[in-house]
Amino acid sequence: MPPVMPQTPHKDDLVETWSFLEDGINSVMHKLEEGVDMKHYMALYTAVHNFCTSQKAVASNQGLQAHRGGSLLRRTRSQTALSQEIYRAQHQKLIPLGLLAHLLGEELYKLLGEYLSRHLHEVHQKSLAHAEEALLTFYIREWSRYTTAAKYVNHLFSYLNRHWVKREIDEGKKNVYDVYTLHLVKWKDDFFENVHTKVMEAVLNLVEKQRNGETIEQSQIKSIVDSFVSLGLDENDSKKSTLEVYRHYFQVPFIEATRRYYENESRQFVAENSVVEYMKKAETRLEEEKARVGLYLHSDATKNLTETCLDVLVTAHSTLLRDEFQILLDNERQEDLARMYRLLSRIKEGLDPLRSTFESHVRKAGLAAIEKVSSEGENFEPKLYVDALLQVHTRYQNLVNEAFNGESEFVRSLDNACREFVNRNNICKTATTKSPELLAKYTDSLLKKGSKAAEESELEEMLVQIMTVFKYIEDKDVFQKFYSKMLAKRLVHVSSVSDDAEASMISKLKEACGFEYTNKLQRMFQDIQISKDLNTSYKDLQDKVLDDDDRKRMVDAHFQVLGTGFWPLNPPNTAFSAPPEIVKTAERFQKFYFDKHNGRKLTWLWQLCKGEVKANYIKNAKVPFTFQVSTFQMGILLLFNETDTLSYSDIQKATSLAPEVLDPNLAIFLKAKVLVASPEGAKPETGTTFSLNYNFKNKKIKVNLNIQIKSEAKVESDDTHKTIEEDRKLLLQSAIVRIMKSRKKMKHVQLVQEVIHQVKSRFPPKIADIKKNIEALMEKDYIERLDGDEISYIA
Amino acid sequence: MANITLTSSDGVDVTVERTVADRSVLIKNMLEDLGETGESIPIPNVNEAVLKKVIEWCDHHKNDPPSAGDDDDNRRKTTDIDEWDQKFMQVDQEMLFEVILAANYLDIKALLDVGCKTVANMIKGKSPEEIRKTFNIQNDFTPEEEDQIRRENEWAEDR
Repeated sequence: MPPVMPQTPHKDDLVETWSFLEDGINSVMHKLEEGVDMKHYMALYTAVHNFCTSQKAVASNQGLQAHRGGSLLRRTRSQTALSQEIYRAQHQKLIPLGLLAHLLGEELYKLLGEYLSRHLHEVHQKSLAHAEEALLTFYIREWSRYTTAAKYVNHLFSYLNRHWVKREIDEGKKNVYDVYTLHLVKWKDDFFENVHTKVMEAVLNLVEKQRNGETIEQSQIKSIVDSFVSLGLDENDSKKSTLEVYRHYFQVPFIEATRRYYENESRQFVAENSVVEYMKKAETRLEEEKARVGLYLHSDATKNLTETCLDVLVTAHSTLLRDEFQILLDNERQEDLARMYRLLSRIKEGLDPLRSTFESHVRKAGLAAIEKVSSEGENFEPKLYVDALLQVHTRYQNLVNEAFNGESEFVRSLDNACREFVNRNNICKTATTKSPELLAKYTDSLLKKGSKAAEESELEEMLVQIMTVFKYIEDKDVFQKFYSKMLAKRLVHVSSVSDDAEASMISKLKEACGFEYTNKLQRMFQDIQISKDLNTSYKDLQDKVLDDDDRKRMVDAHFQVLGTGFWPLNPPNTAFSAPPEIVKTAERFQKFYFDKHNGRKLTWLWQLCKGEVKANYIKNAKVPFTFQVSTFQMGILLLFNETDTLSYSDIQKATSLAPEVLDPNLAIFLKAKVLVASPEGAKPETGTTFSLNYNFKNKKIKVNLNIQIKSEAKVESDDTHKTIEEDRKLLLQSAIVRIMKSRKKMKHVQLVQEVIHQVKSRFPPKIADIKKNIEALMEKDYIERLDGDEISYIA
Repeated sequence: MANITLTSSDGVDVTVERTVADRSVLIKNMLEDLGETGESIPIPNVNEAVLKKVIEWCDHHKNDPPSAGDDDDNRRKTTDIDEWDQKFMQVDQEMLFEVILAANYLDIKALLDVGCKTVANMIKGKSPEEIRKTFNIQNDFTPEEEDQIRRENEWAEDR
């Protein structure tokens, strides 16, 4: 048997209807846990519906009589909810305002509002008995009860929402809300406004307890946050919510308390602990606060909270942190440096002062390393120098990567520092060209046969390292000069460790400096390849044309034809009469070559030629010794085929060699005891005679007499430096002409700037040099000066 | 899903599927608020004949997608009614109006729209006299009143 349907109130009677509704709302508000049965639910809904649709209340206002007449449609002027629906469905936009409906419901809405105010007043009175956590518990319980009830009441009054409230809102009335929102507005105005200060005090005390390490009921704070967020209503659209209430009443005091707390804590901590300890503390605190947002705050707080914490924990102490930076660098405390980086990278311009400290620290480290190398005397190995540079670079590059996250600005500081100490240090204080020279020499030592870098991969790695230093070299043209000299030697003497390594190095340089930079190097490489083919076809030809007699006297020879423009080689600086034994061979090849390439000119670079001679005259050797000699030495030794003793002037006359070349070579023979001087111990000079030493002894069968002469090496280096100056002049002039040709007219200052821009990848030009070369080109009528400091190109 | 029993104002029980009953926002909200207790739900404002008519409509439309709400202008601006609904609405005037009232009470938006459109179509294109005849309305305006109303509404006339 279903419960009896409660008697619904008379629909026209406001007092009766409201008292019926108030009973119902009361039980929803206070006894929801006992449940509401369907009969009551339907009765309450129906009471609202019936009141709002009761026509008598309206009709009496109009003073007109409604006609029913078997139809439910009323005259347009009688305006019941139903006729409104029909009318609006068709002519919503056309309703003349004078005929606008007056919907019923305002009285119910007002009474409901008053009821809620009364209820919340009671809640407030009860809340006065509570404080701190108990107040939070009370607030949360009442909030939960109230909002649950609000959902029910909203449904019970849904007819009111659909008609009267909707109409009021559509007409733009302020302060009319749907029934659920009305509940929230009332809560905020009649309860929240009275308690929020006390509630927030309790919340903040709780947070402080947690920051002090106590365990707290986090969900309480979460509930409070949710409640504050719910109370944010958009004035213009009650369906939307804003965070205004939460921000104003929760976030602002929360952030303030946070700031106070960490100001105190950090001040105390710094006073009692080291900076390193403080950084650890700050980092932990930042993590904690970040986690706090996820635990019970609204995500809206993240930015504000983080900024506040950074401000108090990092910015406020940034000077202290930075002062520690140099100490950490000195002690190589990578982990602490990383921590400092992380902290300071999060505040505005936090890292800038560190960068310059870092830069000067690296520069000093580089200079100190070079100082150490130079203290070991003049004649250190290039390897020592390059290794010192690389070691500093590697150490700080690792630091940048590991501790500073590879950040590009720190990379730049590192680059700046390296460029400084690579180009300007104790060793190259006389000339900045020392660095590229040493680097080129080191490269040569790696690529030359007999270097210690055994594995190919190891060699490749070292070439990569060379490029690291190369990147910082300002006088790249100097490196190019030395490098091409040494490459030429390696190629001519067939002393490269491998063609692949050579090619790899050239392609690395090309990648770094462009095609033009390596053009000549590549051409040199090609010449060697072409010469190989040339020798093969020459040998084929010889096999066909030579008779036996020719063959007997033939010297087994290998020829290299090198293009004058690409090779950094000069013709011999001494006259030389080649020994007849090789003249024939040379002439034959020359003829062969001219047949192939008519009109070319060949110059014999005797100073670069070498050969082997067999010493058949030494009787006590089972196998005859073989002397590895230069062509000049060969010329001298072959003279002794005719006689055992020759005077200095005989030798000079026969070979035509200049004394600067002849003397040291004779000295080598004396030292190796191939020749014996008379009188004994005499120097190679006019008056000395030389005899063949028949008692020559050596452990090796092959004896290398082709040793580079010290003074030659020195002269070579000086020459190279001299040609660099020449080349720079040309480079500057060609840049000037190139620029002027394309621009036609230009201000002097601009021209200088443009020239610097164009050549700085090769070397850092001096402004005075540029000006000098501009003058030189004016004299040569390439360009002329116009009025107003302008320069013009002469076509 | 369980079946729901509804009790009409004249005491007759009608059993329907939950999905059918849920077309009424009133019933849907209540079932969500209170949970299904198995009690029958009293519908105090609707009699058996009307309730069955309304349920017939709800049953036919039980799988319709939820309406896009009040902002769906297309739905409101057109008087087109789908074929089944047109047939459904072919009833006497008394029943038509009872269905409209029930839809309004039970909060079945789509049914309320169909009802109102049907009435609107009955008015469309008719003169006031014809409308009075259709709905059996006695003219209680004085000629002066009628004149004034005509003038006030001149702007809305079709010319």
